Amino acid sequence: MSAADDISTILSSGIRLTVPLAFAACGEYLAERAGTMNISLEAMMLGAAFGSVATASATGSATTGLVAGVLIGLLIGFVHGNLAHRLEVNTFVVGLVLNALVLGLTSYLITISSFDSHQVSQVSVPWLRDIPLIGHPLFVERWPVYLLLLVIPLTWWLVERSRWGLELRAVGEQPQAADVTGIRVNLRRRQALLWCGALAGLGGAYLAVGEVGSFNQNMTAGRGYIVIAAVIFGAWRLGRTLLGCVLFGLADAMRLALPALGLTMNSQLLVVAPYLLALLAMLVFTTRNREPKALGQPFVRGST
Amino acid sequence: MTIDERARELTPPTTPALRLRGISKRYGPVVASDGVDLDVHHGEIHGLLGENGAGKSTLMKILLGLVKRDSGTILRGEEPADITSPQEAVALGIGMVHQHFSLIDALTVWENVILGDTGKIDRTAACRQVEEVSRRYGLPIDPLARVDRLSAGERQRVELIKCLRRDPSVLILDEPTSVLTQAESAELFTVLRQVVRTEDRAVILISHKLAEITAATDRVTVLRKGRVVFHSETSATTPQELARQMVGRDVSLRAEGAALGLLPVDGGRPADTGTAPDTALDTAPDIETGTAPDTETGTASPAPGVVPALRLRDLTVTVDGVTALSDLSLDIAPGEILGLYGVEGNGQSVLGDLLSGLVLPTSGTVEVGGRPVELDRPGALHRAGLGIIPEDRHSSGVVLDMSIAENLVMKSLGDVSGRGFISRRKMYGIARRLAAEFNIVAPSMDTPVRSLSGGNQQRVVLARELSAGPSVLVAAQPTHGLDVGAIEDMYQRLQDAASGGVAVLLISTELEEVMALASRIAVICSGRITGVLPTGEATAERLGMLVGGVAA
Repeated sequence: MSAADDISTILSSGIRLTVPLAFAACGEYLAERAGTMNISLEAMMLGAAFGSVATASATGSATTGLVAGVLIGLLIGFVHGNLAHRLEVNTFVVGLVLNALVLGLTSYLITISSFDSHQVSQVSVPWLRDIPLIGHPLFVERWPVYLLLLVIPLTWWLVERSRWGLELRAVGEQPQAADVTGIRVNLRRRQALLWCGALAGLGGAYLAVGEVGSFNQNMTAGRGYIVIAAVIFGAWRLGRTLLGCVLFGLADAMRLALPALGLTMNSQLLVVAPYLLALLAMLVFTTRNREPKALGQPFVRGST
Repeated sequence: MTIDERARELTPPTTPALRLRGISKRYGPVVASDGVDLDVHHGEIHGLLGENGAGKSTLMKILLGLVKRDSGTILRGEEPADITSPQEAVALGIGMVHQHFSLIDALTVWENVILGDTGKIDRTAACRQVEEVSRRYGLPIDPLARVDRLSAGERQRVELIKCLRRDPSVLILDEPTSVLTQAESAELFTVLRQVVRTEDRAVILISHKLAEITAATDRVTVLRKGRVVFHSETSATTPQELARQMVGRDVSLRAEGAALGLLPVDGGRPADTGTAPDTALDTAPDIETGTAPDTETGTASPAPGVVPALRLRDLTVTVDGVTALSDLSLDIAPGEILGLYGVEGNGQSVLGDLLSGLVLPTSGTVEVGGRPVELDRPGALHRAGLGIIPEDRHSSGVVLDMSIAENLVMKSLGDVSGRGFISRRKMYGIARRLAAEFNIVAPSMDTPVRSLSGGNQQRVVLARELSAGPSVLVAAQPTHGLDVGAIEDMYQRLQDAASGGVAVLLISTELEEVMALASRIAVICSGRITGVLPTGEATAERLGMLVGGVAA
């Protein structure tokens, strides 16, 4: 194998590993701009991964599975939103409980059921796929990958240009001020969580019925947390957040590729590598002063 | 007065712009609003006067749909109005300029102005509208500027523009001048007169400052404990009468007068005796003699030869890359009250944080009793003998959910404990003694501080700080949010502390307060001292110029 092939392979797997992160990151980015530190991202991705595989197996359609994944993400976003931003339960506790619940539930359900393997179809873009080095990694992909081309600009436009996004930003910065201006703070935060749930669901479902074609226990393996790290790494800017996802995706790809390239390393240490990288990246690049001021703080009218 | 205006006053408009009938609201056992009736007419400024906690803000929040009323009706013209959200209030032509919390710092001016609207965002149109309103009322502002880069006066302009752009027929202003310089307040009242006289809108001006109410309003309503206790045309009443109605008894004391903003500061001297407050002078008679006011350098020293109890030397503090204090130097002698006066947001709270040990200076030193304090060691200021009444007593003055006794001994746990255990007997002993000495009114020493009134909470802070026997007391906005009785008490305690030889640094935004208490006034603007004057030489004009950053 030539060096160009190696690079192409690593790039290819790097992109596939980045895509689920990128979908979830678009959701988490928007939720955090509205002031919710959405820890239950992991639950959204894992639940959606399981749901998509189960639905695909039941209906025989991977695309239906993908839709089911989105719905499960929405459901978890709905539960989280209502617990945290209607009943005023601490958002971190809600997130942790949901993560533990989904992990336990899916681990149990996978032991008592067996699913057929389904995978969404691959799209190969003529001519462009023949570009050397990057042609194959970028232009021969499962079709949901190309949804990112829609989701990323749409997320940016929603946050930066739409009135809804303006209100989300106001709510994430100074909820009291937003309230007296007539914005329904908790409603906006619940809506932001629904958007986050849908996209995290899409990311989790892509991982299952897009890449792998099956579900295994704890298959997201902390990818939700990696995405939260990416948003912090990106200093609450979409471009930098996505860059963070690419970085973590590539690190994951290196981990898979290194043994194949003949480099032997302790495999446990390799598994840890992307998470270590995430920690280091946050340490070095994080700039706190762009953080939404009310991030993680509940809003109750009348308290200041 | 033109003939038109006279005619308007003689024949009151037939239908008031807004009528409130029997508005009541209670929070548990607390009655915030008790059967309030209020008529507001087009073409007039209606003053709503009352002490803190009299129910002014609750009433306005009800009008705005932020608080749900228990009973009563609101009539907008002839129609009963059921307002349940700020949007409905806007639709009914009611707009409000809030005292705090209504602009989002991280957004630009135009984004703030259109916040709360509906429909598609049109940036060009929004900017054009901002410029239009800004031109019409003479309120210059850059629509593309981010709000956190604006001064307090400019923010107020943005608030006004945001409100006026929606063309309200009833405009409510809640304590609008609390963060403004005199020049900025004057600008505001010019706009209000235009809004009322030429555009025939109705304005409700909420304030606890008598001078403002008598100067600016056409009609005045006084609230006390949630009830309307007085109502009159402004021209038919006097400040004394209004003060009496507001407090519920005769007001004669100088301190009370200051608390109500009654001192004739426009005349130059607060009193004609030529002496600064008596207690401070009694104990430190040499304070003003032989000291030429050194306003150029801003480091006027209290008295040559005396070791200052507190000496701040070239303090510079940078917060998030913004210089909050720059080369600030002040000396305060034992037994002296030095007033640090300035408009809110000019570095006072950073200085307060610094003297609480919450912020470290980038350069400069703090000396207490001639010895430099190692500011980076927790508790060093306290051990050096500096007591502080912090500006925000809820976040750094007391622990709200702990008991009075616990709060009182918090800084001297060594005195009440042995071998790592707290002696509850000793703790209660000290607490009872302090409560009696400082008039802390509470059911028991176990009562959580949260359930005390603001005045009693402040007394807990004061008792704790003074019981440590400090040589310096820093009082940052010590009377914010207190009622007149508590303010009077606080003034007395500060003066007593000074006569006992404590150096008092009084950080205040109330001109009347520093005039009444301090023997010298230092003026702060944009984090630097623009001048230090003996109170005897301080006139409203000179202070006004210093406050605006111009050397007097």
